[in-house]
Amino acid sequence: MKAFVAALLFAAIVAVGVSILLNTIQQPSSVAFTTEGVRVGDPGHNLIGPG
Amino acid sequence: MARMKFLCDADRCIECNACVTACKNEHEVPWGINRRRVVTINDGKPGERSVSMACMHCTDAPCAAVCPVNCFYTTADGVVLHSKDLCIGCGYCFYACPFGAPQYPKVGNFGSRGKMDKCTFCAGGPEADGSREEYEKYGANRLAEGKLPLCAEMCSTKSLLAGDGEIIAQIYKERVMKRGYGSGAWGWKTAYHETIES
Amino acid sequence: MASFGRFIRLAVGACAFLLVIAASAPCNAQQVNPTASSVKEQQLLQELNRIQGRVSIPDQRSGVLEQPAGRDWREFHNVTLRWIGGIAILGIIAVMVIFYLTRGMVRLESGRSGRTIVRFTAFERFVHWMTATCFIVLAISGLNITFGRPLLLPLIGFEAFSEWSQWAKYAHIYLSFPFTIGVVLIFLMWIAGNIPNKVDVDWLKRGGGIVGHDHPPAYRFNAGQKAIYWIVVLGGGAVAVTGYALMFPFYLSGIEGMQLAQVVHSIVAVLFIAAMLAHIYIGTVGMEGAFEAMGTGEVDLNWAREHHSLWVEEEQAKGQAPSGGTPKAMPAE
Repeated sequence: MKAFVAALLFAAIVAVGVSILLNTIQQPSSVAFTTEGVRVGDPGHNLIGPG
Repeated sequence: MARMKFLCDADRCIECNACVTACKNEHEVPWGINRRRVVTINDGKPGERSVSMACMHCTDAPCAAVCPVNCFYTTADGVVLHSKDLCIGCGYCFYACPFGAPQYPKVGNFGSRGKMDKCTFCAGGPEADGSREEYEKYGANRLAEGKLPLCAEMCSTKSLLAGDGEIIAQIYKERVMKRGYGSGAWGWKTAYHETIES
Repeated sequence: MASFGRFIRLAVGACAFLLVIAASAPCNAQQVNPTASSVKEQQLLQELNRIQGRVSIPDQRSGVLEQPAGRDWREFHNVTLRWIGGIAILGIIAVMVIFYLTRGMVRLESGRSGRTIVRFTAFERFVHWMTATCFIVLAISGLNITFGRPLLLPLIGFEAFSEWSQWAKYAHIYLSFPFTIGVVLIFLMWIAGNIPNKVDVDWLKRGGGIVGHDHPPAYRFNAGQKAIYWIVVLGGGAVAVTGYALMFPFYLSGIEGMQLAQVVHSIVAVLFIAAMLAHIYIGTVGMEGAFEAMGTGEVDLNWAREHHSLWVEEEQAKGQAPSGGTPKAMPAE
């Protein structure tokens, strides 16, 4: 039983940790697809929401 | 009932990107989202050709077919729209779309790419016609005002046509006959399973 | 003089008139097609099965004008995959039901001895249960992507189904990491005991004792378990690799690569699910005394002798198992 509970706990911790990490490194499209010639201040929020 | 279609006359497109600018302006499309784009094949070489491409609003739309949550719907005019409230951002519609129409606000990470956005034929979305919610989520709804998509209206050479499929096919046929050449309606075979014989 | 001037004006006027007439006539014989040498759509599709060009957008995926391969992928996802998954999963369930109704549970024939032997350590059980529970959630959330729309959506409606699917998708993505860790640990932990050998050939020839009352000898893992091990390691590896390719779209490949990754991921996944259903069956209702191995880690000595006699001998020789008791018939080696 202890092994089982430990397994669930470990899986949950890893999952939450990974989600935090991935969301931190995820880029919006306006940042990922940009060039040096472009200086994007506010990329706009219509159609995609405030996120 | 009219069946709405796009037709880009690839012999007239001069890659001016007026269609792209018009769409971006009309719907306040943010950076990183490309509802309409102009692709130039064989750029700089003999045989160069430019084609303006956005969602073709296909018959039997593949995006709608593969969506795991069935968030797409086709209006009575044949315009393919979707609900951003139901969309889970999985990206399958992009794999199925022959034309690369679906756009996502964030890169990578299947989990949270954000809600898919695409050309709406200037017909908005499921929210009330002309409402602020509709504009913020889907952009302007010109069709509800009896107008045609702005990209075609703004095309500098009238290469991009949008409207009743039969009418624009007729316009294209007459054009081809009058000038004596035409490379065909690009994308029509894939999108609508028909060609325009001239 | 005046008549000569009038004659000149008349002649010039007539020439001008003829020139205008000639110039205004459409030159049908010399109609020019300025794009005669330009590419045509069907020609490009036939050559490359995609049409691609230059765009000024930094996202180079926009350069693909047409990719009809999307149509084939749609056919696979909506039709082929659903057939494969349906047949594999419903088929294995049907086989198990029929098997249980005819053969019944594999009983511990010599009865419980009351003495136990340690089969799996706490760490082994931890790894197994972490991988197993993650697998259950991954299986359900994954099946939802393919089968949710035709089977579940009509029952609970659009909003509820989208909300459920959104959470299922997050669970699928984030639990894939502990699942992958588990598969790697399983591979390392049990590789030593899962190399196929002659005893396995013999075990298989005797059908593993699954029918009748035979008890072919086996070491710690019998051939059936070794099969499950390799299915988990290889299948798990395949779904992990393709899964990460899908999770980080276009990092490794273009659109055809993404479509292929989804094809491999989904086919391996549904077959994996079918295999795991059989594994779950045999470890729970299928065999008396089996669950304890992963539950408490200790199994009855008679159970171990009936199903893993060679392993019991090894453990007794090492002093890890209680000795004594009557061993079952030994193989003539």
